[in-house]
Amino acid sequence: MGVEQSPAWQALQVHCDSGMGSAHLSALFEDTSRTEKFSLELDDLYVDFSKNRISEQTLEHLINLAEQQKLPAAIQALLTGEKVNDTEDRPALHTALRAHGYDVTGEAAKVQPDVEQALQKMAVMAEKIRSKHWRGYSGKPITDVVNIGVGGSDLGPLMITHSLQTIDSPVNLHFISSIDGTQTSNLLKSLKQETTLFILASKSFTTIDTLSNAETAKDWLQECIEDDAVIYAQHFIGVSTKPDKMTEWGIPPENQLLFWDWVGGRYSLWSAIGLPIALKIGMKRFRELLQGAHIMDQHFATAPLAQNIPVVLGLIDVWNVNFLNIHDKAILPYDARLKYIPSYLEQLVMESNGKSVARSGEKVAYRTCPILWGEVGPNAQHAFYQLLHQGTQAVMCDFIAPVERDDIEEGSQSERNESLRHQHELAMANCFAQSRVLMLGDDAIPESLKSAFDSPFKHYPGNQPSNTILMKTISPKTLGMLIALYEHKTYVEGVIWEINPFDQWGVELGKLIAKEAYSAIKEPALAEGFDSSTKALIDRVAK
Amino acid sequence: MKVSVFGCELSGLVTAGLLAHTGNEVMSLPVGNLKVEDLQQGILPREEPGLDQLIKSQYQEGRLSFESDWQAGIMHGDVYILSMPSWRADRAEKVIEEIGKTARKDVVVVNQSTFPVGTADRFQASIKLAFAERGLVAKAAVVSMPEFISEGSAINDFSKPSRVILGGSDKEAIRLLRDLMRPFNHVTDQVKIMSTRAAEYTKYAVNALLATRISLVNELANNAEHYNIDIEEVRQGLGSDSRIGFSYLFPGCGFGGPNFAADVEALVGSFQSKGYDADLLKVVLQNNEIQKEVLFRKAWRFFKNDLRGLKIGIWGLSFKPNTATVDNAPSVKTIEALIAQGAEVVAYDPKAGPAFSEYWGDRFGVTLVDDMYDALEDVDALMVLTEWRRFWSPDYDRMTEVMKRPVVFDGRNIYEHSVMAAHGFRYFAIGRGEVI
Repeated sequence: MGVEQSPAWQALQVHCDSGMGSAHLSALFEDTSRTEKFSLELDDLYVDFSKNRISEQTLEHLINLAEQQKLPAAIQALLTGEKVNDTEDRPALHTALRAHGYDVTGEAAKVQPDVEQALQKMAVMAEKIRSKHWRGYSGKPITDVVNIGVGGSDLGPLMITHSLQTIDSPVNLHFISSIDGTQTSNLLKSLKQETTLFILASKSFTTIDTLSNAETAKDWLQECIEDDAVIYAQHFIGVSTKPDKMTEWGIPPENQLLFWDWVGGRYSLWSAIGLPIALKIGMKRFRELLQGAHIMDQHFATAPLAQNIPVVLGLIDVWNVNFLNIHDKAILPYDARLKYIPSYLEQLVMESNGKSVARSGEKVAYRTCPILWGEVGPNAQHAFYQLLHQGTQAVMCDFIAPVERDDIEEGSQSERNESLRHQHELAMANCFAQSRVLMLGDDAIPESLKSAFDSPFKHYPGNQPSNTILMKTISPKTLGMLIALYEHKTYVEGVIWEINPFDQWGVELGKLIAKEAYSAIKEPALAEGFDSSTKALIDRVAK
Repeated sequence: MKVSVFGCELSGLVTAGLLAHTGNEVMSLPVGNLKVEDLQQGILPREEPGLDQLIKSQYQEGRLSFESDWQAGIMHGDVYILSMPSWRADRAEKVIEEIGKTARKDVVVVNQSTFPVGTADRFQASIKLAFAERGLVAKAAVVSMPEFISEGSAINDFSKPSRVILGGSDKEAIRLLRDLMRPFNHVTDQVKIMSTRAAEYTKYAVNALLATRISLVNELANNAEHYNIDIEEVRQGLGSDSRIGFSYLFPGCGFGGPNFAADVEALVGSFQSKGYDADLLKVVLQNNEIQKEVLFRKAWRFFKNDLRGLKIGIWGLSFKPNTATVDNAPSVKTIEALIAQGAEVVAYDPKAGPAFSEYWGDRFGVTLVDDMYDALEDVDALMVLTEWRRFWSPDYDRMTEVMKRPVVFDGRNIYEHSVMAAHGFRYFAIGRGEVI
């Protein structure tokens, strides 16, 4: 029996059909205590989920569903290191990566010595590079570090370092991910071999995207450096779960940073994959990032379901998807520093829950992961908000914004500070205006202006649900909390939908066929077995 | 003449001592942490050839006095001289404020310190305003007289100047200062009169030009190496061109010191504060920082990118000979780099040991020795970072005997490649010697 036939699910369906499904947010907000009831605060994070089409009964039903699905046990299973990734027969212990020095049990406790050892090796390397004592072949200090990785080995460090751009970095960081050579060839034009260091970040160390870019980088270094041993010793660091593969590629053991197969790629920024983050902000602040995530882990482990932020947000997503039939989610950060949060969450959420087979092996009979996309909010207002306000698509939105900018000095009246403060307030005003209009629609129009909107084209239906997540500032700690919140929320949804969020079998076949297609491009005779469309495409590229 | 000199750093003391020496009644007033009692006992903040004796003799003869009370200085002087480090304009500011508040007659202030362009004008306006507020009818002139002394030759530089620049428009003040400087301006008239701002700017411009020249010569030397050209031969060719001349034409492992680079940096900063850039000067400074590690880089390549466990001997820690100062010295960067790579350092310097010890603190890895040959005991290489005279003609045989490996990295080009090779040394220098 699938969850859709379970009593708690059925009860929700009844609750939905008997009025809640057609309630308008505008009416729900007649209850002035609503925000108090439907908001939660944890440390530097404030989460307002009152602009969702829910009532207290809805939440009660959702909590019942969570209990029926044994969510509390599932949370413990995750945090203590049970094999929650059953299709790959291993735990998903990313929370253990940020638990050092705290009280944890089970597998999570057992891996602590390894975790700490890896962090310390990472700290030594980061410090050497940051203090300009990591030297290139000529003896000059490394000034530019290029992270070559894709997916989890790229998006996490890219998103965090971009978010923390106001922290001065002693080295310039660059990210190369795409398998086509464009990024690499463009970047290398502006760098010098003697002062450039590459990080090869690949969980399996077989990722063709990363290894092909790495080969290009190596060729480029060989233009100047005769001795390959020098290239590997001074110009490459490897980060992987596979030390033997790194050694085979040429990276000496002292330049290898390890993580483990129980760290999912999209959950790996907390491990040595976070080296670019440590290079940018230093190890002390990297540990603040871990600490922030740990605060969320503790909350997730101990808060009652109804006050548990990842649980509540996850359950509301389930309500939106499965009962209100909303299948799209927009991630809308209102600060350009958070530009890569949407891409990061696209991978985290859709690679985790974009699945249609339950843990039982049965095909699910209900919707799972919504389509998720997004953009820096103020920019998106000039792009796709039209669809949010007047399209035929129901979309749920997450607004994310910092309350303050910590790069504005308190009490300082300098021009730069004043403009930053002014522009920050403008951005916040836009953020709050958009979620209000999406919710209320026409009801947000002030009485005095009603006549100006008297046209079918100026009609705003409203009733688009949203969450607003306010961070005190954008800091390592708040980012840690925010990302851990989304990780756990994703897990909660997986538990309700009875799917395994930690595998990604869906991406494997494409890799395999790419190899065949590559062979066919090099050797057109091999294209014969392909369908006519693919064959025609290969023919156009093949030489 | 009665002169009050505010500031007892190198330039203040040299000025006070030499003005007393030529018969003036000079009162010297510390404005920082220096104590009058120490100065009276001849305990000076900086070691400088001849300065000790000069101060002692003038103090004993009674023409030089030390005083901590600024009021006494303001009462004493017909001329006030401001002589502070470039980064202590705040102290000068306080002296000016005090003069404005308490002086009772016409004042002539001479600013010797390297302060931003416009400072002298500002000081003058500030005293005038204070006088007006007090209802005092008196004249105030602030004249800029930039100092061009170098550590190690400060007394000679002051007493035999190649020029004395007086920046100001007050004729009486200029006449007074011409007279004060007359004993040092005897053979030919070296006084150049100009506007205060031009005088202030000239000081910066001189340093900017010299720094640029050194950085350029270093770049030429670094690249000459790759063509197997001996830069020393090129230097002869360049210097004999009368448009170029020989001074400041020595390639080496970078310039240092407390003021030189700081002044150029200040100039870059002042350009930027006006919304302009100083592209060339920024590169000059950046190149110099890179040049300070040139010997480290040669060693890095020579020892195949692995310096762990090596012992490196160092001759010379001071930023130049005849000084005990290590501020911004190439030795500091070089030793930091060597230690970070896991090497061990044994260093000798005739004077700068204490200053280096203070900088290094209680960190491991560096041993200072009192004999230059002790710095060679069992070392894998020697680096020469300062061209102290005693390093020029060492006992080569003794060197090879005590060194583990006869490898010399010469950052000041004081040896001959052929001689070194004959003694069995591997010899690397700046723009000459072996290529690595």
